[in-house]
Amino acid sequence: MCRTLALVFPNQLPKVVRYFSHRVDLAGEERPMKAPAGFVALSLLLLSGTPTEPLCAQTVTAGELTLRLAGMTAVTGYEQAMVDTLLTLLPGAVRDRAGNAVLVLGNGPPRRLAACPLDETGFAVGRVRPDGWLTLRRSPARTHLPGPLFDQQLEGQRVTVFAARGPVPGVVAVRSVHLTRGRGSLSQEPFTVDDAYVDVGAASASGAADLGVGVLNPVALAKRPHRYGSDKLAAPWVGRRAACAALLAAARRSVAEPGKDSRSGSTVVAFVVEQQLSARGLLTLATSRGPFAESWIADDSVGARAVQAADSNPELGAVGSPPRAALGQIHAWQISTAYPGTAVETVSLEQVEHTSAAIAGWLQGEAGQ
Amino acid sequence: MRTFGLAAFFMTAAGALPAQQSAPVAEAQSVLAPLVESYGVSGMEAPVRATVERLLPRWARAKAETDTAGNLWVRAGKGDPVVVVVAHLDEIGYAVSAIRDDGSLEIMARGGFFPSLFEAEPALIHTGAATPVPGVFMPRDSIGPTPGRTPSHFRVDVGTASRGATEALGIKVGSTITMPKQYVRLAGTRATGRSFDDRVGCTALILALRGLDPARLRHEVIFIFSVREEVGLEGAAVAAAALQGRPTRVHAIDTFVSADSPIEPQAFAVAPIGRGPVVRALDNSAVTPPPLVDSLAHLARARNIPLQIGTTNGGNDGSTFAPWGVPDVAIGWPLRYSHSPAEVIDLRDVAHLADVVQAIAERW
Repeated sequence: MCRTLALVFPNQLPKVVRYFSHRVDLAGEERPMKAPAGFVALSLLLLSGTPTEPLCAQTVTAGELTLRLAGMTAVTGYEQAMVDTLLTLLPGAVRDRAGNAVLVLGNGPPRRLAACPLDETGFAVGRVRPDGWLTLRRSPARTHLPGPLFDQQLEGQRVTVFAARGPVPGVVAVRSVHLTRGRGSLSQEPFTVDDAYVDVGAASASGAADLGVGVLNPVALAKRPHRYGSDKLAAPWVGRRAACAALLAAARRSVAEPGKDSRSGSTVVAFVVEQQLSARGLLTLATSRGPFAESWIADDSVGARAVQAADSNPELGAVGSPPRAALGQIHAWQISTAYPGTAVETVSLEQVEHTSAAIAGWLQGEAGQ
Repeated sequence: MRTFGLAAFFMTAAGALPAQQSAPVAEAQSVLAPLVESYGVSGMEAPVRATVERLLPRWARAKAETDTAGNLWVRAGKGDPVVVVVAHLDEIGYAVSAIRDDGSLEIMARGGFFPSLFEAEPALIHTGAATPVPGVFMPRDSIGPTPGRTPSHFRVDVGTASRGATEALGIKVGSTITMPKQYVRLAGTRATGRSFDDRVGCTALILALRGLDPARLRHEVIFIFSVREEVGLEGAAVAAAALQGRPTRVHAIDTFVSADSPIEPQAFAVAPIGRGPVVRALDNSAVTPPPLVDSLAHLARARNIPLQIGTTNGGNDGSTFAPWGVPDVAIGWPLRYSHSPAEVIDLRDVAHLADVVQAIAERW
């Protein structure tokens, strides 16, 4: 286990207990651990009393962090479980009023920003039916979907409902192929979120409630990061996760090797929320910690292109408007993806390492790319 | 008979779930989970057959034989009337039809299913080696602004850039392809996974064999784990041709495709999960003679096993015995979302299905 435990602050303990009371299983999915939370809390209290030791930043690669983050879910507006994880992985980082995870390196102006959006287009429980099935709504509702078949990826697949008492596995109903035979042709309209009925095994609304399932619980495809080829990793939203992993690994390195940045001023490293809804996380940084001389955004191909076209990006506001202006010149670190916007969106872990190295260099005063 | 039968009958009637951790449910799961997580697209059933053999009781393992088609036979008891019980080993999936110059794989379906459920999903290519080669089912080449639900064509990417590199992974034309599978418990006694069709049937046969004392059987019962059901009942046809008219009855133990969900038409096949196995009295391949339906219902009642009677779509292995006049008394368990990656069952139905099979062997 990484020695980030030694840097846990008492006020972070509940979050850490929650973090360590769940594990990501071999399939990359978050599951409750068998160890009681009290036992975990006690262990952490004991560990937090040990002398602070150097982080194991050098031993955790951006690729390993990509694998870790790709197994997690951060539906727009419901990113805080992932923020909890980031706060434990990045000592010194704090949660700001928008819910971003923020770390400041250095002091004073000029200020620079390195940020990565966390959120993914996903779903929330819209209704619990009397028969126990759940229906969904998309979050964010106002969104440019990655493609016209985005919702269709739910049909007949396993999902995770992030319920009040922990993740609950479910499936999205699909017609049985046998029962369609001889009964007329099936509609060729793509499956949409309004066609989604989630089956968690409950036979009634009260059965769903017994699982802690209720309206507004985030729902996403079960995340099972899948490695193939020599260095490829496939998972939903893996491009964005890889970008955040690249930034995270670089920031951990900067924390572990302080004093290497020869530049004056400070750098804000941030993992931002709700980029797909209103860029609330990013703009909150601009207004609360800016103005920045320059802002670098790490993201997948689609997100990076949107940022690079920031002059026409409605979420960021007009170029001359105060929040947008406070971001300064905007640049992007881009993670290339194959099959973007699908359940098998794919990144090259080798490219992730290269990108992380470039970010680390920038954090230490080198050119951005 | 399992002592579980009577208790479960009352619990089912009450609609409660106190049997979540009962011994029969736990044993059913202990057999079913490794079967579900074994891979065996039609024609490549060897890994599943090996798992079945491992899970058989010792006496049955000693008697197990594999025929030239790949069916696994276990004979118990002696004398007439001979009764055959058959469940199939194979599952739906794809096979490699060609390897392209860019290293990607052209594929063809093995069995009937919605291809959209496989599009843009993780893939495993089964080469016969111990570990499959991972890849991904690619999204369709072109989507356009108004795509249809069903892709006309898609391929598999194994992360290579040339035909030679793909072949170096051991992949060849005919290699089979699946999605990765995982057995997962849902609420109560429910579970999800892929290829419950027909690993639940195999589980019922194994559990029944575990419960039987072969020395006490009053007639011969032949348990067959068949191959290539999903591509035309091919393995069962070989077994039927070998046995010809000897059996007095055949029982296909296979999925009862259920309309137990809000998205299915409710005209027929409405057998709720958790309320017991189902006599598959009328399907697309066979009609069970009504007196035999009645007899089976009587047998279940006598053993306090909950039993539903219904009609659904699909064919079953028992129908291959029709040319010899052998009655097919097919029995299933209700399954939601058949032939999808998200099939859902109730484990109580699995345990009760095993009770029915055991009762048939011992008493009918």
